Amino acid sequence: MNAETDRLRDLLIEFFELPPDTMASDIVQERIAKWDSLAMVQLIAELQTVFGVEFDVDEIDRLTSCSQIGEALGRKGVKVSR
Amino acid sequence: MHAPIDAMLLRVPESARPAVSEALGETPTWVKLRRANAALERTEAGLRGPEVAVNLLASFNLEPIEPALRLGLQCIPCRPQLRIAPLNTIEQTLLDKGSPVYQESSLATVILWRIEELLPEVLLPFSSGGADVLKGQVELLWSRIERVCRAHRETGKSLLFVSTFPSPRVVSGLVLNSPSVPGPTSAVAELNRKLYELAASAPGIHVLDLNWWAGQEGASAFDPLMEHMARQPLSLRGALSLGLFVARHLRPLLVPRRKVLALDLDNTLWGGILGEDGIHHLKLGHDFPGNIFLRIQREARELKSQGVLLALLSKNDETEVRQAFRELPDMELKWEDFVSRRVNFNHKHESLREMAEELGLGIDSFAVLDDSDYEREQIRMFHPEVLVINQRSDPLHMLQALQSTDAFDAYAVTAEDRGRHREYELREMRRTQGRETNLEEFLRSLHLQATIESIHDGNVDRVVQMLSKTNQFNLTTRRHRLEELKALVAIPGSVSLTLRLSDKFGDQGIVGVLLAVPADDGRRLRIDSYLVSCRALGRGVEEFLWAELARQALDHKIHGILGEYIPTPKNGLAKGFYDKLGFTRVEENASMTRYLIEPLTPVEPPVWLASNGGQ
Repeated sequence: MNAETDRLRDLLIEFFELPPDTMASDIVQERIAKWDSLAMVQLIAELQTVFGVEFDVDEIDRLTSCSQIGEALGRKGVKVSR
Repeated sequence: MHAPIDAMLLRVPESARPAVSEALGETPTWVKLRRANAALERTEAGLRGPEVAVNLLASFNLEPIEPALRLGLQCIPCRPQLRIAPLNTIEQTLLDKGSPVYQESSLATVILWRIEELLPEVLLPFSSGGADVLKGQVELLWSRIERVCRAHRETGKSLLFVSTFPSPRVVSGLVLNSPSVPGPTSAVAELNRKLYELAASAPGIHVLDLNWWAGQEGASAFDPLMEHMARQPLSLRGALSLGLFVARHLRPLLVPRRKVLALDLDNTLWGGILGEDGIHHLKLGHDFPGNIFLRIQREARELKSQGVLLALLSKNDETEVRQAFRELPDMELKWEDFVSRRVNFNHKHESLREMAEELGLGIDSFAVLDDSDYEREQIRMFHPEVLVINQRSDPLHMLQALQSTDAFDAYAVTAEDRGRHREYELREMRRTQGRETNLEEFLRSLHLQATIESIHDGNVDRVVQMLSKTNQFNLTTRRHRLEELKALVAIPGSVSLTLRLSDKFGDQGIVGVLLAVPADDGRRLRIDSYLVSCRALGRGVEEFLWAELARQALDHKIHGILGEYIPTPKNGLAKGFYDKLGFTRVEENASMTRYLIEPLTPVEPPVWLASNGGQ
């Protein structure tokens, strides 16, 4: 996965207003103050809209980092790298 | 969406349009919404409309959808401050007289509620005690609703918008449950009916029909995952649509309705081109596609009944057009339904300007429906302040644009609104009759009569409407809202005057308002508002009001009266009026001229205007 062309990473950077060069591996809920429960609710709506997917209930708790979200989307057949 | 997006975009500052357009487009996302809000917030404040606070209370969680609600309100346009009450604290908040809803000034208070949160038992009627128990619970819920609404009415200073209850999104056991009484759908129907009745009988309470909205938006506005995760039932699309829906209901508080609908003829009020196809080949009637044009005519007639003036704006031969109006069997609109007509081959932007002058209205009072791309473009270019309702020439699109436009939104239709068309017709007759005679002689021949009344519950709606709409003869252009106005009228010693004008042709309703409040320890009065409807100018109404104020002031041993002229781009007509009445200028700067007349002496009202009792 090439970090520079990662759609998901770009989305998360804009969503959480992170510095543009943030590494995908640094996008983890514990390290991002803005990633609270309110943001989580909006993030899920955002991901579902942008990638046209619906998450199962047991997936929600695990959507806590760029890589975990990437995996969940991958399982739904969404390629997040361009 | 509930108003054409293109029209909405024209209201927001140009620099923010691309971002707003993207957010309102096919696939809204939170990031797009945030960009749109940010683009608007970066724009110069003067272009973004007034700063207003709105109280929002809901039985579901509004916190996660705040950016969507804010974007909707920003598109009014205004600079909103959203005060969202904590989840499900509607009753605590509104029953507490010390709550910020009552303590701080605001444009409006909005309540959004659903049966899912307020009475979930009705969704599961069989396991919740059955019909008798539920019936009592529905009644109890209604008494709580009524109490909350009344509490706001007694204590609140702003308007209250109460939502209806949307039909429950999910009814399990559909066949068995939906017809049960009281069950999920019947309980909602019952509560909604009571809400309409309450609002109809209580000024200051308006219904926001969330049930209609939910039906219109359908399943895509809701997201069951969000409902369970965040106690917020809406999808992102639904949240944005709700923001626009709430905004549309608040908009008439800030933006006056358009006064005139100017209609083209060929391919707008009938299908085909009169000059080419001939009368008998025009499409109008009960068959497709003539039925679309018929419906456009009916919608226009409905607007006329709501007090919107109709104008005819067509490039055609007038003789042929008059013949078509006479001979086409299915015409819903008659030639006489139009208060102003321009049927000729002049440029339409020039015709519009002429009509504005003829009616004594600003060109920004006009909205236009016209199938021609060329004409619409020309109008937009020469008169950007005219609203072009449709964006395309397809008749069905035009019909839908007319049906969904918010240009004519208002909270009530007053008797004056309903009679306005007739008044302009009479005005036209008076004008024709008045030619070539001495003015005073002509005015005397009209048998003008003025009835003075103070502002009271029976006419206060009309006064608020005049305050919000009168631009030209308006000395201060203070747009008081209902509660502000009532507070001013209630000040001991204040003098409020309304003038109802009638003449030999009929009653014109209230056409003038003057409100003066005590100043300088009650020794003087200060004229807060002084305005006369433009359709009544030139008949001595403004002088009559002044004579009446002077009379009442002298009765109350008032020494002097202070006047103010606050210039606006539209009220040049009123400039110098106080000089004419004999006031002295006491202070002058760019934003205001202050006047004083002291000592006060009796003033004679115009000789041609008879006083007709009153107070």
